[in-house]
Amino acid sequence: METSLTPAMFQVLLALGDGEKHGYAILKEVEEQTDGHVRLSTGTLYAIIKRLLIDGVIQECRHRPPVEEDDQRRRYYRLTPAGRQVAIEEAERMERLIATAREKHFLKRLKPA
Amino acid sequence: MEAKKQTLSERFYRALLRLFPFDFRGDFGPEMEQAFREQRVHVERQAGKIGLFRLWWETIAGIFTTAPAEHLSMLRQDVRYALRMMRKNMSYTAVAVTTLALGIGANTAIVSVINAVLLKPLPYQQGNQLVMLHQRADKVGLSNVFYSVPEIQDYRQQNRTLSDLVEYHSMQFMLLSKDEASRVRAGVVSDGFFGMFGVKPILGRDFRPADDQPGAPAVLLLSYEYWKKHERGDPEIVGKTFQMNDRVHTVIGVLPPVPQYPNENDVYMPTSACPFRSSPGMISNRGSRMMSLFGRMKPGVSVEHCKADLSVISARMIQQHPDAYPKEAGINTATVSLRQELTKGATPMLLVLLGAAGCVLLIACANVANLTLARMAGRERELVLRSALGAGKGRLLRQLFTESLILGLLAAGLGVLFASQTLKLLVDFTARLTPRAREIQVDGYMLLFALAAALLTSIVSGSVSALYSRQDLAAGLRDGNTHSTAGRHRVNARDVLVVCQVAFSFLLLVGAGLMLRSFSKLRNVDPGFVPQRVLAMTVDLNWSKYMNKPELARRVSSQLLEKIQSQPGVLAAAISSSYPLDPDNATGGPNEGMTIEGHPQREGEKPPLTALRSVTPDYFKALGIPLIAGRVFTESDNDKVPNVVVINRTAARRYWRDEDPLGRRVSFDKGEHWMKVVGVVGDVKEFGLDKEPGAETYVAEAQISAIGSIVVRTSQDGMNIANQMRRAILEVDPQTAIPNVQTLDQARNASIASPRVMMDLLGIFAGLALVIAAFGIGGILALTVNQRLNEIGIRVALGAKPGDLLAMILGQGMTLVVIGLAIGLVSAMGLTRLMKTLLFEVQPTDPITFAGVSLVLGAAALVACYIPARRALRIDPLRALRSE
Repeated sequence: METSLTPAMFQVLLALGDGEKHGYAILKEVEEQTDGHVRLSTGTLYAIIKRLLIDGVIQECRHRPPVEEDDQRRRYYRLTPAGRQVAIEEAERMERLIATAREKHFLKRLKPA
Repeated sequence: MEAKKQTLSERFYRALLRLFPFDFRGDFGPEMEQAFREQRVHVERQAGKIGLFRLWWETIAGIFTTAPAEHLSMLRQDVRYALRMMRKNMSYTAVAVTTLALGIGANTAIVSVINAVLLKPLPYQQGNQLVMLHQRADKVGLSNVFYSVPEIQDYRQQNRTLSDLVEYHSMQFMLLSKDEASRVRAGVVSDGFFGMFGVKPILGRDFRPADDQPGAPAVLLLSYEYWKKHERGDPEIVGKTFQMNDRVHTVIGVLPPVPQYPNENDVYMPTSACPFRSSPGMISNRGSRMMSLFGRMKPGVSVEHCKADLSVISARMIQQHPDAYPKEAGINTATVSLRQELTKGATPMLLVLLGAAGCVLLIACANVANLTLARMAGRERELVLRSALGAGKGRLLRQLFTESLILGLLAAGLGVLFASQTLKLLVDFTARLTPRAREIQVDGYMLLFALAAALLTSIVSGSVSALYSRQDLAAGLRDGNTHSTAGRHRVNARDVLVVCQVAFSFLLLVGAGLMLRSFSKLRNVDPGFVPQRVLAMTVDLNWSKYMNKPELARRVSSQLLEKIQSQPGVLAAAISSSYPLDPDNATGGPNEGMTIEGHPQREGEKPPLTALRSVTPDYFKALGIPLIAGRVFTESDNDKVPNVVVINRTAARRYWRDEDPLGRRVSFDKGEHWMKVVGVVGDVKEFGLDKEPGAETYVAEAQISAIGSIVVRTSQDGMNIANQMRRAILEVDPQTAIPNVQTLDQARNASIASPRVMMDLLGIFAGLALVIAAFGIGGILALTVNQRLNEIGIRVALGAKPGDLLAMILGQGMTLVVIGLAIGLVSAMGLTRLMKTLLFEVQPTDPITFAGVSLVLGAAALVACYIPARRALRIDPLRALRSE
């Protein structure tokens, strides 16, 4: 990947984690998964999509949903295997970061399960 | 209603999308509109008007932050691609950048000079109100006879249009320090001089009225340059004293760096400190003219108005004092704006240079456009491919513009470098023509201009290529044939470009050719003396020591001469008041009124005018001036015998016509003292090789002494013994300044330095133009040959002879050249008239120059055409046909 992953990009990757989505669906998913804290505008979203497409992190899907649910103007995107790997690595990086933060007492220790 | 609202917001959103780059819009536009539509419907349903408001706000903010970033990334990509393309076509890039850089550089340099000299306001306070007054004697052809003290008083008291009127003259003083005497040039100015110009000393104070009173202590203001150079910018300089001639002068201040006119002076002093200006004879005599006048017009007064006002005063003076204004002299006063006065010498040359530099830039521009078009033909396949792969048309245009912009910027960078390197040369050149040369510098204007030139050239060459690429891309895509399209339009465009190049080159070559012809005539002018191996030294004795002591002066002159003549390597030596082409010789032409015995002056007739020079006997031998009749001076022409003169051929012809001047007498004080003509010598171009020699009269130094210079004919190069001569002179009187030592060869070269630089500059421009144009013509023909390979192959297969092919291709190229030549010829006929004042004995429509230039340009073009034509002859018809 040429560019480093911004938080907004990561959110998009997460939104695509459970399957392919079209533009507006991604916007909605990001908003929901962050409890409304992250609201992407269409401009920001598509600049990210363009970047991720160029970097091969996501790709456009050929097959579309059944006609009655579809709108011709939509395009659907999904993670590529490489993109999934990128997202996993980012998540692991964050996990390590959180662990460090806990050790340094920035966060409460997790209660044993 | 609902539908209408939707379209309104959709339209607005679509308008916002236009902020994105063309390609981004093409890729994602419809999808973004759809996403936004869904988002809007959802938000309105859930959060109503407030939610909608927030959505718009976030959307607009989002677009405004992402769109510039998208543009930037696109630009980066374009630049990267352009640089890759340029690296791949190194020769194309090098030629394009170099030609453009030379064009931009030449223009940047010339425009910097023009900006500083002609456009910027004078660096004086409200400089447009400043005027200079010239008293002229039109009927005898003197354009500056200066002003006398009573005249200055009249103008000061009677004028109604000036708020200030100040006087100026220049004197040479001897600065006596421990080690050596040196000459300082002093501007002698009346009270309020610097105040009128708005010039305030950067150290110390200005002159005060008290400094100008008779008997006041002598004070000095130093010029900035003198202070920097000779006092090393000493901040404690105020209060320091200078022993100058017979008086001690105290420095009271230092002036800022401003252009000085009419002379560059080392120091300034008030009129009371100049022994000549403050002498009673000077103050009371209306005919003792020595001063220049500068004035400041009252607010709202025009130069015309001021001129009329002063003419009235002048007419009144002539009426009241007829003795001081002989009718036959035709004395009057002319008023010119100081700005015009300061720049009049430089304006014609600078404008011609600007025109030439502009031509070079245009030719370079045409060349780059042509190269780009030629290259586009080679890239057609790539461009068609790229557009087929989905690169939008806008994207391709943008790519072309980026490429030409990068070329332009590279060229501008190189051009500025080139300009700043050549600027010093131009400053030296301009300094001969105007005191404003000091204001020329590498500044923001210069960079701005180079940038503007770069933008303009990229837009011109970019749009030419874009315009034609667009049509051809469409055509190329349509018929799927990328090979045969010479493209009707593009060929025409390139033809026009070549014709323009030839025409502009012709103009430049004619300009340079005229200067060359003029200069070679100037250089081959017979100066009337033999300048080789003659050393000329300006010698300034401390005049306060010899003033009113003729005995002492005579003694020092014979000691000097003896000393010089006894030096090894000296073949002949003489003392003279000045020497030919002496840059310090201020008179600038014959200006002594002479009375000729037996030729009473008739009413209204011009008095005979002559240049006057005092020389010792060997002057004519030292300079190699031929004797035509009678004799030159001898040792026995001294103060014990009646005065004699030697005249030049022009004086003899003009004033004695068919009579023999030998034995006749002349007088320089209206008949009080007469001097006999004993000889006639050859004419000398005293005041410039381009000026006709005037009448000249030589007097014997032993009878009328005026020591100003020493001339020496030497057995080897004069400069070799310059130091030896200097020492010899100082041995006779150590209080002597020798400010200027040069050989007469150097003096002659210096006198024609301006036309020489002008010729060199125009020559460089024209040479550049010729090379660029030849490349242009050769390039287009090479391309045509490539594109017509099939046709040529068929012709060869059908039995066309090599001669026919050659004629066909040469004909195509030379037709363009001939059209260009014709256009160039007609425009040159009109335009070279502007150069008339710069030419010496050459007509602006000189047929030899025009014919020669046509020949040179035609020959260069023929060679340029022949190279690609020869390639066509070697074409193997089978291969050419197979390439189909």
